[in-house]
Amino acid sequence: MSELSPSPLVLVADDDPDILDLVRYRLERSGYEVATARDGLEAVRLAGELAPSLAVLDVMMPSLNGFEVTRRLREDPATREIPVILLTARAQESDVQEGFDAGADDYIRKPFSPRELSARVQAVLGRR
Amino acid sequence: MLELLGISVLALAALSAVFLVALVLKRSRLAREEQRRETLEERVRPFALALVDGEAVELPELSTEERAMLAEAIGRLSRNLTGDARGRIGRYFAGTSAYAAEIAALRGRRVWRRATAAYRLGDMACPEAVPELLRALEDRDADVRAAAARSLGRLGRPEAAEPLVRVLVDGTVPRALAFRAVLDLGPAALRALRGLARADDPDERAEAAELLGWLGDAADDALLIEAVGDPSAEVRAKAAGALGRLASADGAEALTEALGDRIYFVRLQAARALGQVGERAAVPRLLRQAREDRFEAARAAAQAVARVDPAALLDAAAEPDAGPHLHEAADLLRV
Amino acid sequence: MTVLYDLAVVIAALSLAYFAALNLVYLVFTAIAWRSLARHLRARGHAADDEVFASPVTPPVSVLVPAYDEEPTIVQSVHSLLALRYPEHEVIVVNDGSRDGTLERLQDAFDLVPVRKALRVVIPTAAIRGVYVSRRNRRLWVVDKVNGGKADALNAGVNASRYPYILAIDADAILEEDSLLRVVRPIVASPDLVVATGGIVRIANGCRIDHGRVVDVRLPTSRLAILQVLEYFRAFLIGRVGWSHMNALLIVSGAFGLFRRSLVEAVGGYSSETVGEDIELVVRLHRHLRERDEAYRIEFVPDPVCWTEAPESMGQLSRQRRRWHRGLGETLWRHRRVAGNGRYGVLGLAAVPYFLIFEFFGPIFEVLGIPVVLGWWLLGDLSGVYLAGFLVIALLVGVVLSLAALTLEEHSFRRHRDGRDIARLVRFSVLENLGYRQLLSFWRFLAFYDLLRGRRAWGEMSRKGFRTVPEAPLPPA
Repeated sequence: MSELSPSPLVLVADDDPDILDLVRYRLERSGYEVATARDGLEAVRLAGELAPSLAVLDVMMPSLNGFEVTRRLREDPATREIPVILLTARAQESDVQEGFDAGADDYIRKPFSPRELSARVQAVLGRR
Repeated sequence: MLELLGISVLALAALSAVFLVALVLKRSRLAREEQRRETLEERVRPFALALVDGEAVELPELSTEERAMLAEAIGRLSRNLTGDARGRIGRYFAGTSAYAAEIAALRGRRVWRRATAAYRLGDMACPEAVPELLRALEDRDADVRAAAARSLGRLGRPEAAEPLVRVLVDGTVPRALAFRAVLDLGPAALRALRGLARADDPDERAEAAELLGWLGDAADDALLIEAVGDPSAEVRAKAAGALGRLASADGAEALTEALGDRIYFVRLQAARALGQVGERAAVPRLLRQAREDRFEAARAAAQAVARVDPAALLDAAAEPDAGPHLHEAADLLRV
Repeated sequence: MTVLYDLAVVIAALSLAYFAALNLVYLVFTAIAWRSLARHLRARGHAADDEVFASPVTPPVSVLVPAYDEEPTIVQSVHSLLALRYPEHEVIVVNDGSRDGTLERLQDAFDLVPVRKALRVVIPTAAIRGVYVSRRNRRLWVVDKVNGGKADALNAGVNASRYPYILAIDADAILEEDSLLRVVRPIVASPDLVVATGGIVRIANGCRIDHGRVVDVRLPTSRLAILQVLEYFRAFLIGRVGWSHMNALLIVSGAFGLFRRSLVEAVGGYSSETVGEDIELVVRLHRHLRERDEAYRIEFVPDPVCWTEAPESMGQLSRQRRRWHRGLGETLWRHRRVAGNGRYGVLGLAAVPYFLIFEFFGPIFEVLGIPVVLGWWLLGDLSGVYLAGFLVIALLVGVVLSLAALTLEEHSFRRHRDGRDIARLVRFSVLENLGYRQLLSFWRFLAFYDLLRGRRAWGEMSRKGFRTVPEAPLPPA
């Protein structure tokens, strides 16, 4: 799997191009390779095709939201092991619970710090 | 009469022509502008991203247009960011003409321009803008005040805490925005909130209690427990809610007592909080509330029992006098 | 003979006066709309939508979806409603005794389980057969009930709502992701004052729709639909803004309306006695609050929030317009006390009389006016020049209003990316005055006949859906 390769692949999914750029910029400079998706369905598809080491998913996305994507990843044996970090702007804690119930590994609120996101990515990957 | 007719026809024909021309011109102008913006944005975006990320970047000679677009791009990125990135953004904007222009516009005559300036200053992340924004919190116009509140929240300086809670209480800024702004201040607001929890005005005490539920910690338990016994029902309810959010085990006793409050929305909040705290000892009283109380308070009690002691809920729901709320909560448990 | 002649003169004179007054009002409204939209646009530069979205005290909303035989589109609709960008909301679908597989589709797609939900029975409705919640998403509830009509279904939804605000929408309406955030803005700004809001409704025919969202705005191919696109521009961009300013907005579209729930309950919910249940509720809300001298506002948000499917056949369109006109008449009759009554402020002195004279009785002048004027000319008492003059003015006024609406649309929203679409709309601005408008007036005129006969049925609209073509009769009122 990709943990052994020199540049782990991170899949980032968000319908906001600003977020995609910010996250990609930081992660690439932290030594990761980045693939991006603009909506939930694309995220599921790419996760299956590219087998990333980790997925960073926005919760509010068209076609399929972040929770749904996480659930689908967990349901499919090919993608079950991919750790998931969720990003959201909403304030509801019920969201956090739903995120963990869906199988996410970590949760980051927006507005966020890309460097901190990068540190969490490292932490989650280090745990695995 | 004929002349009147003739004039009307001409006037209307002229008006049609005016609209037609406006339509065509506007469309082509907007299209061209959009195209120009896109090219500009593409050119400056890499610099914006580098700057925000903290990469040492040599800015080449930029035209005024490009500089303006860079400012806009960084401002937009700023909305998604917090932490060190915001510090970098603030340092970039400090001393620039873009920043000075917004400060000047904040004192300008046109209302909408003041509001936009107040908003943009929040994106520019310069703490020096805080005094100006505090002044703008008292602007005549509601949009300006709202934008100022939002930006003060984004800038995160503790001196904004009391003024923001004040506008929250006074209602001069939409509640949703003012509340979010205080939340954005985070721990910087705690001192002000703890002080306000003892204010003379019950509205201030109520807002402070509610916000402590979001921003506070175990140190605030004692304060909130006392507030559950406040003379004002609003304060009691908000304090109960806050204890629940903080999942304060110490508050369980006060909350259980609050189940007997005269006012139903206090009972509602107390029930909900007991569910969050997880107080098993309160279950019998909660069950009684679920059977006997008003719709909303009874419902909250039933949901609370579902959280705290599912087995007890299922038992109680099977009884003949259970009532609709216990039935609902039990069915939802089984879902 | 002279009596008839005198009558004809009177009718012609009244028609001319009516025509002049109406278009003057329209032009004034256009001016008001320009200013208001300009202000609204500027406000976009500082609209803190992100913060409202992220605020825990933004008022939560129960979205009510009355559904009758909506099998082809209901699952898609519900998915997109659950995906609305909003801090806290629930979706309550009310299955109004559908004869098709609406409920079954929902059960399959969302894994529904029956729950003995406690219902506040504040508003009496037809019998509830059962209430379900979705295992996949606890924010989705389905109320299954015996058929009772749209108003009755909405009332059942109100009884099942948990939150202080309700959003009443049509089951086949397509919303934008931010629709709810946009339409709640006036309430966020003044929660104690604003009791109801509505937004701009657009026509979905011809647009490309993906996963319940409009992704590409195109003009429909059907001429009838294009004419309606133009008509909706005029109606929403010009009509609503003016009335909203004066706090006399009578029409909050049934396709998309946000209301304070406690108020809807206080006035007894939607009425099943009229086909115009949406405007009847709004008028009743106005009355209730004005009679109690309570400060309030019902506001129109000049932002596109909702897309609906317009009828494309003459038969369906005529039935729809006759029904709307009948609903207007029933509402005005029911609240006739308000007309001209100073007790009701702007509502009584301006809005209701306007709707009565210009909207309701208007078709009489429109339908009789032209033949009478023509007859006058044929009889030789009216010179051809004057006749031509009147007709040209009538045409030009229509063109000016449509162009104004088009320009407003372009200026504000620019949804139509293809310039050819705008060019077509400009052509139709002229064409619509050469038959379409007259046809609409004629159908509305027929509604008088319906009203006098006391007709009750709703008629049919076969729904093309966004894929297939099933029959979807509307419930009897």
